[in-house]
This record gives sequence, structure tokens and C-alpha cells, in this order.
Amino acid sequence: MSDQRPDFHAALKSLEETTLSMADKVEGMVAMAIRSLVNSDKTLVSQVIADDDVVDEIYMEIRSRWMNIMARQQPMGRDLRMMAAILEMNNTLERMGDQSVNIARIAGLTAGLPREETILAKLQEMGDLLKPMIRTAIDAFGRRDADECLLLPAMDVPVDVLNRSMWKHVVACGNDPQLLEWATRMILVSRALERVGDQAVDIGEQVAFLLTGDHQEFLRFHDYDAD
Amino acid sequence: MSTRMELASTVVEDAVSPGPSAGLAGSAGSSAIFEIQDLNVYYRDFHAVTDTSLNIYQNEITALIGPSGCGKSTVLRCLNRMNDLIDGARVEGRVTYHGIDLYGSSVDPVEVRRRVGMVFQKPNPFPKSIYENIVFGPRVAGWKGNFDDLVEETLVRAALWDEVKDKLENSAFDLSGGQQQRLCIARAIATSPDVVLMDEPCSALDPIATYRIETLMRELKKQYTIVVVTHNMQQAARVSDRTAFFSVDVGEEGQRTGRLVEYDMTDRVFTAPSMKETEDYITGRFG
Amino acid sequence: MATRTIGSGSTAVTQDMLRRALEGRKVNVINPLVALTLLISLLASLAILVVLLWDVVAKSMPVWQERGWSVITNDLSPRPEETGMVQGIFGSVMLTVVVVILSFPLGVAAAIYLEEYARDTRLTRILVANIRNLAGVPSIVYGLLGLTVFVKLILEGMVGQLSGRTLIAGGMTLSMLVLAIMVITTQEALRAVPMALREASYGVGATPWQTIRHHVLPVASPAIFTGSVLTLARAFGESAPLLLAGAVLSTFFAAPEGTPITSLVMSEKYTALPIIIYNWSRQPQTEYIALTAAAIVALLVILLVVNAGTILARDALERRRIR
Repeated sequence: MSDQRPDFHAALKSLEETTLSMADKVEGMVAMAIRSLVNSDKTLVSQVIADDDVVDEIYMEIRSRWMNIMARQQPMGRDLRMMAAILEMNNTLERMGDQSVNIARIAGLTAGLPREETILAKLQEMGDLLKPMIRTAIDAFGRRDADECLLLPAMDVPVDVLNRSMWKHVVACGNDPQLLEWATRMILVSRALERVGDQAVDIGEQVAFLLTGDHQEFLRFHDYDAD
Repeated sequence: MSTRMELASTVVEDAVSPGPSAGLAGSAGSSAIFEIQDLNVYYRDFHAVTDTSLNIYQNEITALIGPSGCGKSTVLRCLNRMNDLIDGARVEGRVTYHGIDLYGSSVDPVEVRRRVGMVFQKPNPFPKSIYENIVFGPRVAGWKGNFDDLVEETLVRAALWDEVKDKLENSAFDLSGGQQQRLCIARAIATSPDVVLMDEPCSALDPIATYRIETLMRELKKQYTIVVVTHNMQQAARVSDRTAFFSVDVGEEGQRTGRLVEYDMTDRVFTAPSMKETEDYITGRFG
Repeated sequence: MATRTIGSGSTAVTQDMLRRALEGRKVNVINPLVALTLLISLLASLAILVVLLWDVVAKSMPVWQERGWSVITNDLSPRPEETGMVQGIFGSVMLTVVVVILSFPLGVAAAIYLEEYARDTRLTRILVANIRNLAGVPSIVYGLLGLTVFVKLILEGMVGQLSGRTLIAGGMTLSMLVLAIMVITTQEALRAVPMALREASYGVGATPWQTIRHHVLPVASPAIFTGSVLTLARAFGESAPLLLAGAVLSTFFAAPEGTPITSLVMSEKYTALPIIIYNWSRQPQTEYIALTAAAIVALLVILLVVNAGTILARDALERRRIR
């Protein structure tokens, strides 16, 4: 069966590619934000903020192209699911970018304060866990791989565990007000990273919908919570 | 191109600047092939279209949409003087083609139609062979050249060659509806026109044949200017660069007069039209 | 079985109700009655035709048995046992040729003008209405017209012939008679050509004449052809105008031995098959009853053959033309 709507499908493909390139950009931003925090690197802070402007532009561009395709091409079936997935991913990626900016801003604000190595190590660990997660989510979308997106909820579990344990390390910091300020802010960073992990799982859910046509919520760590 | 029809060349080369215009509809400075000013069309006492002004731009697909009786086909048929065939049709206002008044007293409608081809609602191939369908137009225009090459070139351009190359001598009626309509498009471009008018070209076709024709239209607009009337607004949304929305006013005695409501880039018309009437129509809140 | 409700609201019915409605086929009286009446009408008209045919065939049988082909091939003669109708057949054929030459091009051209060129004005409409009226004028009136205009005014008055009642005058008179019908049938054939075909032709830049020549006429031609032949068949069987405007060959005329039939007909004295039937039927001798019947059979056979031939030829034409 030859393609009877080559122009439409080319436009859809191009929109998908733009979304993927936005995802690559956001993936880099998350990594950069953590590095800017761990290394107290002000250049990286401004780099993350500059990248977010680019991501915001791509976000707006995808929205407008999405709108045109919707209005003009009346996508159906697989194409319609792709459009739905792209719109959701566009929002998710934009918010992941925003979380990166939050982390980078905190890195900038806390640059002069004393630091606690255990907390930093935990945050670095979260970052290390997130890196393959984001990659997996993007690849699952790019390769239409249902198996890969099913891995994501399990990958998210240690991130959530680390986030929940963060308060203990903060309490352990003692009474030094400056260290306490730093540690409290690190709670926000941990929270932001936890959100990024959730958003990677969100992308996985979108890919699963794209591939199967069923809306599904993956089981997440907090769903197991008894208390 | 030198062996192709010479007829169209003189006028076309005088055109100010080729290529699609990015300007808004009717804005000054864009290169328009047709300029329609204050067009009013009457069929005897019946006022079919009132005070319509719009420009048609080169290498674009312009879609005319609107409800039944809104005069979109009437406006289309003013562009190649097809309305002349209807007894009692009267055209007021100005329609210029590359700056020349189409309704000027010395204008020959036959010459107009050689430059402004037409494709109709129902596929209407001549009851002759596929080959004869293509060569008739160029032949009556006095074209001299290799007709076999012309037929092949034209059918290739109309994306029909592979399907019919082994049965050129067969009746055009042996083809499917969609193929017949593509043959009609081929027939229209065989005379190397400047513009191709299409009057609801897909309304008799199934969705797949429709998509094929739409793909062909987008391919053809690189070389021709296309004006398409369609009552399928999704089609207008899919293929066109600009969209003109016509509405119909019903008078006290039930007489229906068409009127141009909005003319803009298609993206704009279908996502955020500026007139409430257009929005009501495209969202199905009318009647 | 549980009662199922079909539909909703005030129109809801149970399945049983629906079954009764769908299966309650009633005996319909009106329909078969109407069909029967129509069939009887058809059979009645057929019966008249059969009786008529049977009557003439039966009456003419003695002639065919006794005379064989000679009743066809013999010249007219004062003696009933020797007379024949060949002059009439030849005269009728020649008249038809004149009619074809005169009325076919004129009628087709007039119809093309009216259908393809004339604007739909009041004048055109009056013209068309009058052509329809002309087609309904009794043929004897055309005979009078032929007598005054062609015979007296033109041939005897202007050309100066001794007697204007020639085959040409007769042919012209019959042409007048069929011209209006020819125009109407051609008009109808042209009107049956879809407008879409004309639009297609104009759309690629053809002139009106190119459109008519290449598209309209080829499509309309089988219908024009059939209509024309049927019209000519009418002229072939027409007698009244010829009684006035020609056909003066005496019923009992015996050609001098050796006179070729062509020269006989082409000179001013000619006759036609319907005239022979008319003349023979008025003869008192009993032999002429069978002779008249034989002439009628000959006329009917010729018309039947021509009509059948036309239908076959039209079918062949339509097959050759690409659908």
C-alpha cells in the first residue's frame, strides 16, 4: 500500500523529529543542572537558563505546527495517537526543562554556602539514575519500543526512594543555620529530580498509548505505599 | 519548454514576480494572477454573487468554500469565462488576468480557456481513447509537435502514466472514477495552461482517490496556479494555501445571493478566523 | 422468549409487534388490477395490428400464388392480370432520395443552430414552438403548399416547365412535410448530449464549432440517424401531398416497350407506391382487391426492412463508438 498522503505524513514525521530534538536538549539540560550544582559551576547555570529559552521556543513552535496539522489534516488512528502523544510530550518536556532551570537557579543561589557531601552524593546518585531513564523514555518514543517504556516505572523506584530518604540527611545536618539553609534548598532539588523521574515515566505512558491505543497509568512507587 | 505551447508564454512572462506571495490576501504589492474587484454576477434577474473582491496568487492553491448557493462556483467560472455558456449570465465589476480585463470587449473566451484550464465536479472525459483525451486541446489550439511525447509528459505530470501507459488506445471510460478525474486534470494541463480551475474535483470520488488528487494538486501547484471550489472544508484545509469563505444571504422572496465573508491564509481561516460567520461555519454552528 | 423492546419513547414496540408489522403482508387488489388493465390495452392495440396484417396478407395471397414476383417487377398496365408496381417502388425510392438530400442537411443544421448557437430568447422560443406546430400540420396542407409554391409558382411559373408536377416537386413537398420532424428529432438527440461533454471541450479551449464537430455530433449521431430514417419512412408512406403535387402517372399507363424505367420516372411522369395503393383501391374490378392488398404488403415489408436495418445500423454505430 503506497502512501496516499505523503505531505501530511512528512509534516507529522518532521513534527516528531522536532519533538525528539527537544527531548535531546532537555536531557542535556537535566544533566547540566546537576553538574552545575555539584561543581558549583555558574557558567553551567547560565547555560541551562539559556537552553531553556531555546526549549521554550521549540515548545511554542511545536504547539503552532501541531495546531495547523490538527486543523488541516484531520489525523486519524495511529496518526491521531501520535499527535496526542506529541502534544503531551511537548508539555512534559517543557516542564522537565523548567525543573532543570529550578535546579540550576538553586545551584546559583547556594554557591557560597557550606555543603554536605552525603546529600550531594545522594543527589548525584539521583542524577545518575535519571540519565538512563530519560534516555530510555526518548528511545522508546523514537524506536516505538513498548518493552523499553515498560522498564521505566521500575527505574523510577530508586529515585523515589532516594527522594524520600532526603529529609533524614537534612535533619542530620545539625544546627548550623547556613548549612541548614543549603540543606533545605537541597530538598527542593531532590523534589525537582523526583518530578523529572515521574515525567520520564509520563513519556513512557504516552509511548505505550501511541503503540497500543490504550490509555494506561503505569504502577508507580507511591502506588505501593501502605502508610 | 520550447516545444510546448507558445500561446501562454507571452502573457505569462510579463507577470511581475513569480513565486508564492507571503502577503495577506488582497494586500498591495503581492503578485496576483487574477484580481477580482467588486464582482457581481447575475443570471437574468437572479443576483448570484454580490460585491466580491479577491486576488488569486501565483503558484498557490486557493480554495473557495461555503454552503450551497454561496456563489463559489460562479466566481470560479468567471475566471475562464465559463459563465458565458449560460444564457442570461451577466458579469459586472472587474476581473483582470495578469492585468488584462478578462471581460474586455476584444477578449476571446476561447483564448482565455486555453490559458485557464478547468476540471469539473463529475469526471467528464471525452468518450474517446485516453490518448485522444489528452491531445484534443493542444490539437484544436493548433499545437505542432510530437503528440506521443506530449501525452507521456502530461500523463506523467498527472501521476497517471504508470497506470495507463499500456492502454492509451483504450476508452477513457474503462478507467476508475479517480483515474478518470486524473485524466481530466491531465487533459486540462495538456494545453500548458497558466491556471487550473477545479470545481469540486473530488466530490464524486472515494477518500483514497481524493487523497491522490490532493497530493497531485500540491505537486501541480509548483508549476500552475490552482483555484479549487470545494464543499468539503476539510479538503480546503488540507490542500490550500489560501481560503476564501463565501456565505449566502437569503432575500425576502427566497432569492439567494452569495457574498465573500473572509479571505485569508488557510492556517488562519481554520484555526482563528477573524469573522464570526466563518468560525460558525467551520465549527458547524450554522443554518 | 422474553419480550424485547425495540426503539424508545413513544415509538417503542415489542418484538412481536414489529414481527406482525413486518410479516403482515396483505392481499393487494389495486396493483394487479392496474397491471391487468394496462396489459389489456397493450393486447388490444396489438390485436388490431395483427388483424390488419392478417387481413392484407390473406387478401393478397391469391396474387402471390398466381403472379409470383411479376406483380412487383411488372410495369403498370391497364390489364389487371399484367399490371405491376415497380414504377411505384422506384418512384418512392427516388422521392426519398430527394427528401434525404433536401431535408436532412437542412433539418440537422437548423437543429444545431437552435440547440447549440441560438441564445434562449423569446424569438427562439417562438421559433421552436412553431416548428412543433408545423410537425403537426396535416399532410394534405403540405400538398396544397407544394402545388401552389413548387408546382405552379416555381417550376411552371419561374422555370417555365409545361407541367410542374414532377418528381422534384413531389420530393420538395415531402421534404417540407418531414423537415419540422427532422428538426425536432435532431434537437432531441442534441439535447440528450450531456452538458458536461460540452463544458469539457470548451474547458480545454475549443471553439463552439470544434466542440460540436468533435464531441456533440459524434455522440448524437446514432440518435440523429435513427430519427432521420424513421422520419424518412414516414415520407415513404405518405400519399396525400403527392396526390396534389405530383405522381401523375396514370394507373393504367403502359410504358412503350423497351423504355428504361429510370427515364420514365425522371421525366415528368412518375408515381409512388402509396399512390398505386390509392388508385388500385378505387378500381371496380375484383382483381384489384387482391392487388391492393399485395401493394400494401409490399409497402409494409419495405418499411419493416428499413426500420430493422436502421436499428441494426445504429447498434453497430454505437458499438464502434467508444461508449
